[in-house]
Order: sequence, then C-alpha cells, then structure tokens
Amino acid sequence: MASIAETHTGPHDGGHHESYLTAKRGIASWLTTVDHKRIGVMYLASILFFFFVGGVAALLVRTELLNPGKDLVEHAVYNQLFTLHGAIMVFLFIVPSIPASLGNIVLPLMLGAKDVAFPKMNLASYYFYVVGAILFILTIVLGGLDTGWTFYAPYSTTTSTSVISATFGAFVLGFSSIFTGINFLVTIHKMRAPGMTWDRMPLMVWALYATSLIQVLATPVIAITLLLLICERTFGIGIFDPALGGDPVLFQHFFWFYSHPVVYVMILPGFGVISELVTVHSRKGIFGYMAIAISSVAIAFIGFLVWGHHMFVAGESSLAATVFSFLTFAVAVPTAIKVFSWIATMYGGSIRYTTPMYYVFVFLFLFSIGGLTGLFLGALAVDVQMHDTYFVVAHFHYVMMGGTFIAFLGGLFHWWPKFTGKMYDERLGKLSAVLVFIGFNVTFFTQFVLGSRGMPRRYYTYQPQFHTLHEISTIGSYILTAGLLVALVTFIKSLKSGEKATANPWNGMTLEWHTESPPIEHNFAEQPICRRGPYDFPEIDESAAGARH
Amino acid sequence: MAAHSDPHYDGLGHHISPVRVYWLVFAALLVFTGLTYAVSFAKLGPASLPVAMLVACIKATLVCTFFMHLKYDERFNLLVFVSSLFFMAVFFGFTMLDVASRALVDPIEGYGVYEQYNPPAAPAEAAPAEAAPAADEAPAAGH
Amino acid sequence: MSDSHAAHGHADAPGNNSPFFQHHFVTMTQQASAAKLGMWLFLVQEVLFFSGLFMFYIIFRYLHPDTMLWASEHLLDKTMGGINTVVLLFSSVTMALAVRAGQVGNKQHQVTYLAITIVCACIFLCVKYVEYSHKFHMGALPGHFYSYAGNIPGEPQTFFALYFCLTGLHGIHVIAGIIALLWLMKRSARGDFGPTYYAPLELTGLYWHLVDLVWIFLFPLLYLIH
Repeated sequence: MASIAETHTGPHDGGHHESYLTAKRGIASWLTTVDHKRIGVMYLASILFFFFVGGVAALLVRTELLNPGKDLVEHAVYNQLFTLHGAIMVFLFIVPSIPASLGNIVLPLMLGAKDVAFPKMNLASYYFYVVGAILFILTIVLGGLDTGWTFYAPYSTTTSTSVISATFGAFVLGFSSIFTGINFLVTIHKMRAPGMTWDRMPLMVWALYATSLIQVLATPVIAITLLLLICERTFGIGIFDPALGGDPVLFQHFFWFYSHPVVYVMILPGFGVISELVTVHSRKGIFGYMAIAISSVAIAFIGFLVWGHHMFVAGESSLAATVFSFLTFAVAVPTAIKVFSWIATMYGGSIRYTTPMYYVFVFLFLFSIGGLTGLFLGALAVDVQMHDTYFVVAHFHYVMMGGTFIAFLGGLFHWWPKFTGKMYDERLGKLSAVLVFIGFNVTFFTQFVLGSRGMPRRYYTYQPQFHTLHEISTIGSYILTAGLLVALVTFIKSLKSGEKATANPWNGMTLEWHTESPPIEHNFAEQPICRRGPYDFPEIDESAAGARH
Repeated sequence: MAAHSDPHYDGLGHHISPVRVYWLVFAALLVFTGLTYAVSFAKLGPASLPVAMLVACIKATLVCTFFMHLKYDERFNLLVFVSSLFFMAVFFGFTMLDVASRALVDPIEGYGVYEQYNPPAAPAEAAPAEAAPAADEAPAAGH
Repeated sequence: MSDSHAAHGHADAPGNNSPFFQHHFVTMTQQASAAKLGMWLFLVQEVLFFSGLFMFYIIFRYLHPDTMLWASEHLLDKTMGGINTVVLLFSSVTMALAVRAGQVGNKQHQVTYLAITIVCACIFLCVKYVEYSHKFHMGALPGHFYSYAGNIPGEPQTFFALYFCLTGLHGIHVIAGIIALLWLMKRSARGDFGPTYYAPLELTGLYWHLVDLVWIFLFPLLYLIH
C-alpha cells in the first residue's frame, strides 16, 4: 500500500467501521445528515436531475430548429424553452456541479479531514439549493420565463412572464453557492492533515480554493442585482430601465461582474478534476505543479477584470471596451499554462486507457477549441461581427459542456468506485466517451460555422441557407444524448451488479484513496499524516518502492 | 474553566483588550462624528465629499482595529477583509470607467449618459437651475 | 495559517473538554479560528452585497448631483441621522464589551452589555421608523409610488428608491442582528460562554460592527451632502 500518508491502521483492517452509506439508515438520516459525503451524494442526485430537465429542454430546442418555422412549439414556448435550458443549466446544474457534488465528497477526504469546517452550514447550503430549485420550478408553473438566463433589463423589468420567482430563485441559489464557498475556504485553510503543506495539496483542492474565492467575492453582487431587478419591477425604482431614467448597460455591468467570474466557478473545478485524472491515469507526476496551482488563483483574479467583454456592442464606452478586451487576453496565459502542463504530464507517462482518461482526451480537445475561440470573441473587431451569433453559443458550449461537463463526467467515473464501492463496465464507459465526443462535435462545431455565417442566437426561425447546418447540429445532439444515456446505463449497471471496488483501484496517491471504498463515516480510521507530494507515484520514485506491500 | 494566569489573554490565548481602550475608541468615534456633522454645515463645496469620506474612513479603521480586534487577530483575517474592499474598488472603478467615458472617444456615436441628463447647453441655464430649488421649497400647487 | 493543526495531544488542549467542542476539529483553538475565518469571509460577502447599492449611489450622484443635493438637504434630517449614528456607535462599544465579558467569563456583564446593545438597536429602529413615516406621509417614496408635491430637480423618485434601498437593507441587517443578540443573551444567561468558548459572541460581534461600519458610511453619504 503505497501512499502519501502513513497511519497505523491501514484501510484493510478497519472492517468494524461502517461505510458512510450504511452507517445510518432511513430517509430521515439522509435529509438531516451533516456528513459531507452524504450531502455531496444528495447534491449529485439533485444536479443530475436538473441536468436531465435542462437537457430535455435543449433537445426540444434543437428539434424545433430542425426546420425553419414551426416544428414542435410556438415561438413564445420556444423562448421559454431556451431560457429554461440556460437558466437551469447555469444556476441549477453547472455552478454547483463539480464543487458541491464531487468537491463536497472529495475535498475533506483529500485534505485528510473528518468533515468540512461547518457541516451544518453545508447542509443549509443544500437546502438553499432545494429552495432555489423549487422557486425555479414554480417559475415554470407561474407562466415561465422568456428573458434568457441573463435577465437583461429592460426586457426583464417589463415582460409579463414570471421574472420575480426566477430571480428570487437565483438569489437563493446564490447564497447556497456562497455558503459552499466559505465552507471550502475555511476547510482548506484550517483543516488540512498534519504535514499537508500548501505545496502538497492535490490540484483539485487548489482549483476548489480558487473557485470558492470567486463564489464568495462575486456571488453577493448578483444577489443584490437581482434584488434591485425585483425592486425595479415592483416599485419602478429607475436604476436599469431607461423609460424610468435608468441605464440598461448598468444592469449588464452588475450582472457580468458576477457572471463573468462565475464562468470560472464553472470551469476551474473542471481544471482541478483534469489535473487529478491526467496524472493518476498517466502514472506520472504532474508537470508544473506550482504553475497549475497558481494559475488557478490567477484565473480567478483576472476573471474579475474582464467582464466588460460581454458588452462590446451593448453601448459600453470605446475606452472601457478597449481596456476590457486587452485584459481578456490575459486570461489566456494561465489557461494555456494549464493545458500545456497537462500535455507535458502525459508525455513520457505510462498512459492507461481507462474511461476517465478517455474523458481527459475529450476535455483537452474540446476545451482547447472552446478556449481559443474565446480569443476571437475577446477581440473587439471580431466580436462586433460575432456577437449574439451561434459562434458565441458554440464557444461557450465548448467551454462549459466540452470543458466542465466532460470533466465532471470524467471525475464521476474516476471517483465512482470511491463513492459507491462498485466498479463499472469499462467498455460501456469508453463507448459513452466516444459517442459524447462525436455527438458533441457534430452538434457544436456546426454552430461555429452557422455563427460565422451570421445565424443569430435565440432565433426561432432562420433563413433557408442555414437549414442543412441546423439539421446536422440537431442530429449531433441526438448522438450526444445517446452517449450520455450510455453513461447513465453504465452507472446504473454498476450500482446493480458492479464488482466490488478496492480501496484504491487506480493506485492514486492522494488521501481519498487511503480510506476504504466507500469511505467510513468519519473518513479515516485514524488521522492520516501527509509525508509526500500528491503525485509522487512509486513507479517513478524508486526510493518509495520499499513502502509497497 | 481554564485557569488563565495572564489577564491579557483568554483561555485560547487570544488577546483581551482593557475596558479603557474600548471607551477611548468610543470617545474618538464621537469626536469624529461631531466633526463630520459640524463640517457638513460649513460650505466646503467640492471638498466636502472627500473630507466626509476621510472622516468616515478613520472611524471605520478605528472600529476594525479595536472593536473587531484586527490589531490582535491573525494577519490573514485582515487580508481577507481588505480583499473585499479591493474587489469592491474593482467593481466601482471599471463600471465608472465605462459610464464616465462613453462620450470621450466617440462623441457622436457614444453620446454619454451624463450628457443626456446634463445637456451641453448648461452654462446658459446654470443660474436658473441653481436658483430653482430655493424657489420650489413651497410645495407647488396642483401637482 | 496552518499552525492550528496540533497532530497530537487533544484531550488536554484548552477547551477540548467543553460540551461545545465539535469532534471534527482537533483542538478548540482550531475550531475557534476556523469559525472566525468563516465569519470574516461572510463579512466579505456582506461588503460586496452592499457594494451593489453603493454603486447605484455613485452612479446616481454622478448623473444627478442636483437631485441628490436638494433632496438630501431638504428631506433628510441630519439630526435624526446623527442621533442614530451615536446610538449605533454606542451599541458597538457595548457589543465589544460583551465579547470581552465572554473572554473573561463574566456572565453578568455579558447579559447586561448584550441587553444594552439590543436596546440601542431598538432605539435605532424607532428613529428610523419616525423618519420613514415622515417620508411616507409626504409621499417621498420610490419609483411609481412617488407623490411628493415639491418640485425637486432631476429624478427624485430614484433618489428615494436609493434612500429606501440603502437604509432598508441596512435596517434588515439591524433586525437580523437583534434576533442573533436575543439568542446570544439566552445562551449567556445559561452560562454557555467562557474563556475557552465564546465564538458565537465574537462572531455576532463582528457582524454587528459591520452593520455599524455600513452606517458610518451611509450617514455622511446620505445625510451630510454638500
């Protein structure tokens, strides 16, 4: 048992400790739990449910776009569907996805802690999520929402759809996000195992640290913005609506001060997952540990300085636009450092072609395209042409879905044996990765072409020359769905009949692999002590060979 | 519970300030409040805002240092708090950069928000606008 | 920052025999410092939460300096604002003294100082009530509800929106503070707090001082404009 930790009792002789899944029984024991692993599992189930809902909305949108004019639904319903898809995917799926589900489970394990710093607040954050989700569902019942997920004023202050319940839902979800962020920051600062210095923390922890910084610093601004929007609708206070003397561009400043940093809340944890996966499955220490760690924090910081690039054509001043454009390019530097480091990590490694590694390949390919097309959009002159076209839609799907979601899936496969104690079918897992890769590119690469030819986003119908490309994109979305269904089948099959997982099926060195699969209720039978870096694999370190048994 | 031999530190080894310090800080805060209140009657013109903000910042620093114990706390907590002010400044700074410069680079296309509300013809109308508030103190009938 | 990990020796660390010691921490010192860092991060969140309204203030003052000047000078009462400032500063010092009483383990002082703090908070709200009812009476209300008869230059309905948003949000924080203080008073009276465990007192204190800090800026920005 080679590991970065040494304890007196290894995982094998801890048989008298119950796993977190079976230590307590009954629904009530789940709903009132303060165990970070159980809260993570509840988050996981909830976000997957909303991913399903948002995904169905996306499929309806794509199917509607199969032909110009009406296929399935009227244009008003179409407006609600794409809003629903965007709002649910952003607020209920992708923001909490990796941090609140995977992160919640692995963070204390990786740090060698018994729990997060504030377990009750962790549960409260989950219930805030639930309340926010209920408010979103209420929105659908109360007449839907057709503003797009961005709630731009003055349309959102004047439309007759249910803006208040949706914005209040997003407000509550914001506090869920803030609580998770505070909890993680304090946990990382105060609860690390003895010997775990900052340069021995797994890169996933660094990524979650940077993510939490943004959650705490940016989310309150969207909270107050949404309150002001509600006030504008209710009292007509005159801050955003030009008819009342307000400034609609100001709304976009308020909105993007949060929503631009929050795209890094979405992608940074994905970076963290990929850093873990690429090194464990390449059997090689990470290339540029400090560079990757610091670049996460650098991205979080620079992410606060670039929000104006969403408003180049919205009436922002030319001076501000120039400054924001310049700063936008700065984000590419730390991001490129990461991508190059991952590739350099694989170089000369002993790559195992497991499902998580397949997802790493998918991520590297898709994220690179997504990141590089971001530079097109950050350039002032190009953005004037591309703004609000399918080029933008394709760009952020490549980053959000091709980046974060793929990393989420890869991470889920990677840690699945740890969470459930069951292995999954590798062939099915790999099939899902291949299908997702093909389906994704067919769907979204087509949209780059559509956008560069002038197809505007959010339109219900289109000119005949876009017909073929829309058809290809829709077919791609079906392939993508098939790939995701295969992944779902893989997980269900594993739960029903997967073989029992060992404590450390991937021979990972980070602390979560040092406890049983699934972990015991208090994580570790005895306080682990960290003695080595997180990626010092025994294969590449002869001096550690003696420690194996 | 824990026997603490040193009256300056509590059971967890944290600093205990003497009662006198709290009252002295309170007295200083009162003096500054009085000062800012008095200054508001003096017609300082454009200097009044910076003066008022300076006094408010001194008061805030006193509260943070002594009441919130930042002087004796872990240094990191100070960094945390100052970082919030930094990011607030980023928010204000970039937003104002836009709002204040909309007409700067391209005066025709980027007709500024400020100019919309304050037409360039202001010099001619400046005097009546200044006088208007005083004249309107009596509620306008029929409105 | 990581010095709080004591790998060994738990039971004899100060405060570890307290009923309020939580098992997932190694020592009470670690628990207290984690709680305090958490509170500071929450205050960071509060500062940025308020920053949205201050941004609104800056923009409005930049675009409509005349409205702001006139409305503030004629419709906001400097003396009322001044009284509230003093009341809130006084409550801050009694709050700090309550935390100190927790540190030295003086139950009687904790309860007394907390009670004075609550009374001050209530006085603050009463003064606010008088100010608000005056504005309701005059129709100096936000947005659509504005019906003040005087002829204020610019966009007075937006000024009152700003006024009510800023002082209203601050007032909500005062009310939340009173609830927390009442809960603390109950716990103090029960004798929960002593030299090794006073984190709830300390954290509520930090929150209360932040509420004070916000007011320190609101007072000159709203009431003392020239």
